[in-house]
Amino acid sequence: MSPEDSDRLWIRSSIGVVVGVLAFGILSGFVIMPVVQGAQAGIDPWTAICRALGISPGSPAAQQPRSAASGVPVSNVIWSPQVLNTLSSAPADAGRELAVGVCAACHGELGVSTDPAQFPNMAGQSSAAIYKQLHDYKSGARINDTMQSVVQDLTDTQMAEAAAYFARRARPPWDVTWVRTAGPEADRLARTGDSARGLPACESCHSPAAAGPVETPVLFAQTPQYLSVQMRAFKSGQRRSDLFGRMRDVAGKLSEREIDMLAQYYSEMR
Amino acid sequence: MRSLDRLTLAHLWLSFAAFAIACVFGLWQMLARSPWPAPFFTPSNYFLSVTAHGSIMAYVLPTFFIMGFGYFTAERALDRRLPLRRLAWAGFGIGIFGVAMAVATILSGRASVLYTFYPPLTGSVWFYIGLVLVVAASWIWCAIMIVAMRDWKRANPGAPVPLAMFATVANAIMWLWTTAGVGTELVFQIIPAALGWTDSVDVGLSRTLFSWTLHAIVYFWLFPAYIAFYTMAPKAAGGRLYSDTMGRVSFVLFLLYSLPVGMHHLFMDPEHSTGFKFLQMTLTVLVTVPTLFTIFTISASMEIAGRLRGGKGLFGWIGALPWERPMVLATGLAFFMLWFGGGGGLINMSYGMNAMVHNTSWVTAHFHLIFGGTVVIMYFAIAYEIWPHVAGSPANSPARQRLQLWLWAIGMMVMTIPWHWLGLLGQWRRVAQFDYTNPLIAQWGPWVLVSVFGGALLLASALLFVWNLAQAHRRPASAVDAFSFARALHEHDRAPRVLNGFGVWNVLVAVLMLAAYGFPIAQFLIDDRPAALVHRTSGRAP
Repeated sequence: MSPEDSDRLWIRSSIGVVVGVLAFGILSGFVIMPVVQGAQAGIDPWTAICRALGISPGSPAAQQPRSAASGVPVSNVIWSPQVLNTLSSAPADAGRELAVGVCAACHGELGVSTDPAQFPNMAGQSSAAIYKQLHDYKSGARINDTMQSVVQDLTDTQMAEAAAYFARRARPPWDVTWVRTAGPEADRLARTGDSARGLPACESCHSPAAAGPVETPVLFAQTPQYLSVQMRAFKSGQRRSDLFGRMRDVAGKLSEREIDMLAQYYSEMR
Repeated sequence: MRSLDRLTLAHLWLSFAAFAIACVFGLWQMLARSPWPAPFFTPSNYFLSVTAHGSIMAYVLPTFFIMGFGYFTAERALDRRLPLRRLAWAGFGIGIFGVAMAVATILSGRASVLYTFYPPLTGSVWFYIGLVLVVAASWIWCAIMIVAMRDWKRANPGAPVPLAMFATVANAIMWLWTTAGVGTELVFQIIPAALGWTDSVDVGLSRTLFSWTLHAIVYFWLFPAYIAFYTMAPKAAGGRLYSDTMGRVSFVLFLLYSLPVGMHHLFMDPEHSTGFKFLQMTLTVLVTVPTLFTIFTISASMEIAGRLRGGKGLFGWIGALPWERPMVLATGLAFFMLWFGGGGGLINMSYGMNAMVHNTSWVTAHFHLIFGGTVVIMYFAIAYEIWPHVAGSPANSPARQRLQLWLWAIGMMVMTIPWHWLGLLGQWRRVAQFDYTNPLIAQWGPWVLVSVFGGALLLASALLFVWNLAQAHRRPASAVDAFSFARALHEHDRAPRVLNGFGVWNVLVAVLMLAAYGFPIAQFLIDDRPAALVHRTSGRAP
């Protein structure tokens, strides 16, 4: 055989083998398997082939399962790019009027609370966290007489703008005369958690760099009183707008002493 | 005068220094997951460590090793000066800059996203840009390899390209195809998300694009090991390569069937239909063919060497092989690990059985055994083999080299066999810690402890490896024979045209990719699918 003939044979057989194997895969995966398996599941051949190709939904080998269950979410907040966009790009002072006129009475004009043991500081908090809570008050997912009546007539945009306004205020500073008292036990719980009790580290969601659920508040500059009241509200189930019961689960596993310890720990965070 | 190959030396030292550091991270991760306490443990440190370990082992170690070894091969196999040497140095500069950028970002805790590109979780953009620069450096290497082969073919019309170089260029071409997937994902999806330009990302599309890269990248890493099997091991054993043609066919099959198969990483994903998963599984099966060809050819080559050395009978030639030579020993150990790793891989790639091991330690065990075992032990052997020609003086004594290779192989087996078993018991991968007081998983504890012991052997071996290589720099230069690759038993004046270039194969890769990935990618552009919100580790929106 001449070199040219040999080259031609090599090329033809190479292409033949590669295309042949491909054709075998296509025929098996898109025709033979779906038609045979579909027939066993009572699916007609055409539907089975369309499903195998992915142009119609469902498995070619099983009937679509039907489910009568309908979940009722506790919180109705929908995180869409539009909502996040409003939160991040609301004009600097769009929410000022509402914030100063209404919220400031308790939360302070600059987001520094008038009574931080009772009303949380808002300055520097994540806008998504504030928006989520406002939305929950409005929908009734979170219960508080004052807040529910305040937000009742607000639109989503107004709530987002107020949230964005407070998120941009400077956080209350740490007073140099204060003494840090939280010990290593709280630090361990916050940063490592306790796997023996299925307790994740608080920081896995609450640290600013954790990329946890978007609505997670950043924990800093609150009073220990406020933080412990909230943890106890989750523990007792009185506060129940947390998605998937995450905080109810975590707080439910914390002892009373640990709640106080962590409240102290995070109150000293800046 | 010391004959230094500074270009190769620089690449290999960067690769191996990073590797030794990554081994420390690896052992620490194993401690973190074990019943023993790990110092500095927090879950966020664990994920930072996995990101650092994975990024270095997947992107720094192999990429720079392959580049350095490729430059070495181009000069020695073609017996010509490397073209575009300055560009090669520029590529090294870009690469080292990218590595520094990515590693600094990881260590600052702003890119704990693991080493896989699975949005919506995104890290700091500097991490991604750093890795893009590493890839850009490797593209420069690809271009230089292709130019070197083209120039040689022009100067030697009709002559067969030496097998080592043919394989290196096959890898370069495959790498260009490979990086198209993750490159598209990074440029159009992840980097805009990391920069805050987009708030949502189509996760199905990004997983599909990453799968395009995900299997072929492993073959990019694996090529040097196979190059050593074909072109170095037979010579080290004192024999000849049984078939040069079989080598060419194997390398071409790797080029063809490492690409249209990545969907076997997505068997449990909902965004693709069963038909395409089945098709890609069928194509994945073919990846075993070049490996079986290789086992056959190299065993035959070794048999030739063994019989030349007086080995008799059916298996007598095995004992007659010069196992004291590191390259021969490494080849034997690599083949041993390949049986286990390859067997596990067959289970992973089977559409049905995959469900059993999905996201368990089994998967981690598989790729550590194949890449960390079979492939990396050949990186060691290659380094020992070429070190006299690169560093001007041989590495530490063969006895120390053998000790290091044995430590590595034993460590890898002791580490990964328990992992396989733990995977079957259901232990998850990518989880920072386990509560071994829980009766449901308490039985895992002893297995995990055994694997930690394997990890300690691996770290000891890695440090010994670096020390072995460093010894060469403390010694005066020594005269060494010119380097040459193994010769084939039957040397031909010409190779079939189709096995002396890549034109036809590129067309066939395009056909296979179109069949395997055409509709699966197009569907994301045809349908209006829900996108996921981007989650950034670099900080939340204000």
